[in-house]
Amino acid sequence: MDMIDRYLAAVAAQLPQDERADITAELRDLILSRFEAKEEELGRALTEDEQEAILREIGHPLVVAARYRKGPDSLVGPELFPYWLFGVKAGLLVLLVVQAIGLFLNLVAGPSDAGQSIAHAFHGFFWSGLTLIGAATLAAAIFEHYGVRPKWMTQWRVRDLGAFGLSDPSTWGAAMGASASTAPKPPAAAWKPARKSWPGADHAFSFIAIGIFALWWVGVLHFPGLVRIGLRGEDAVITAAPIWATLFFPILIYALIQMSIHLDGVFRPQGARLRALAEIGVAIGGLWLTYVIFQAGHWFTLTVGDDSARIAGDWVMLSFDTLRTLGDGTRDLVGVASTLSVVMVWVLAISAISLVFKIFGAAWRLVRP
Amino acid sequence: MSFDPDLFESMRLELRRGSLVLAVLACLRTERYGYTLRQALAADGLEMEESTLYPLLRRLESQGLLDSEWREEEKRKKRFYRLSPAGVSMLAALTDEWRGINASLDKIL
Repeated sequence: MDMIDRYLAAVAAQLPQDERADITAELRDLILSRFEAKEEELGRALTEDEQEAILREIGHPLVVAARYRKGPDSLVGPELFPYWLFGVKAGLLVLLVVQAIGLFLNLVAGPSDAGQSIAHAFHGFFWSGLTLIGAATLAAAIFEHYGVRPKWMTQWRVRDLGAFGLSDPSTWGAAMGASASTAPKPPAAAWKPARKSWPGADHAFSFIAIGIFALWWVGVLHFPGLVRIGLRGEDAVITAAPIWATLFFPILIYALIQMSIHLDGVFRPQGARLRALAEIGVAIGGLWLTYVIFQAGHWFTLTVGDDSARIAGDWVMLSFDTLRTLGDGTRDLVGVASTLSVVMVWVLAISAISLVFKIFGAAWRLVRP
Repeated sequence: MSFDPDLFESMRLELRRGSLVLAVLACLRTERYGYTLRQALAADGLEMEESTLYPLLRRLESQGLLDSEWREEEKRKKRFYRLSPAGVSMLAALTDEWRGINASLDKIL
């Protein structure tokens, strides 16, 4: 095999089967024409080095073959890149919050292992962040390949743009109502909660957040800090109670239905009534799930070595007196489990209340003129 | 005040990019194969890399603006290109557009 054949074989390997012969035949003619022209100029046959120099001028086989590609020549093109960047920034912020919650639990339970907890949180954020960026890039590449351009990309309105401030952490802090925090105040044009009028952006954000949860739920994403905490210098492991295994598929379906509703909101922001109806159904499902989880009474087990304590609760703990004693517990295994039990009871209660509000909100959107 | 030569090069290439299609279409009013087309463009001051020109020819052909035919010449098979009827109309429309832009720029510059 001579130099031209080797070069053309490298180009051909990158080309679609049905075009290979045609393209390489044309390239062979080009190369031979270049060789002949150079030989005529020099008045002698070319050396191998001179031939190779001409092939280098024509271009690296990967570059030459890439120019013949019919599809897009980048995973995320300039048109999609701003949307990709927004999705990645918003997703990373959600991951940061999730990791911060895990880190907070660790630090509350055992401040002696703060360094290890921070390392766990950093590790979790790093890998889940990389997964998120990969998933966003894959989604953008699919959009790019199939030329998908949703309406919210092409028919946007100026009054809908405020919510994009979500990808700016300083604006985010202010948007979350952290007016007393040290986060700099956003400029007047930045996002304000009361004026977030574009449902598409909210749906996009919710889709990403629930998507991250679903990926974690099925085991694709890992947040090590959420299942392992430091407790008085020892490693404490949080294991799920049987109720979560029982509800694995109902919770997954619940998340997927929510994702599909938000996806519909992203692509079809105008279909609010039908979506409100679906949201009512999903919220009723959420209430049922919350009730079943609450009724199970045992949610997690906290284990240190051979000792374990249940994170469990019932209706009796749903009182403000119990809430007032939240910080009074001991920092040993039983004390931490007890504190987390109270937190869990209230999280479930607040979740149920917010679902009821969600039902009322969706019902109002359904009937309002 | 001097300017950044790299920035100039990138802006120059950007400026040229759109006009190359017009030049290729105009050159192919006469039938040519890739190598002689590149020489003709170079002779008129428009150097073009082969790795850009050959894929461009295939793209224009797939868009129906060029016709091509494999024929033997100088003891080798070569692919000859020329403007298709759709290519002739497209060239006329693009030429008008180009002249309009040129006239506007002449006024501004």
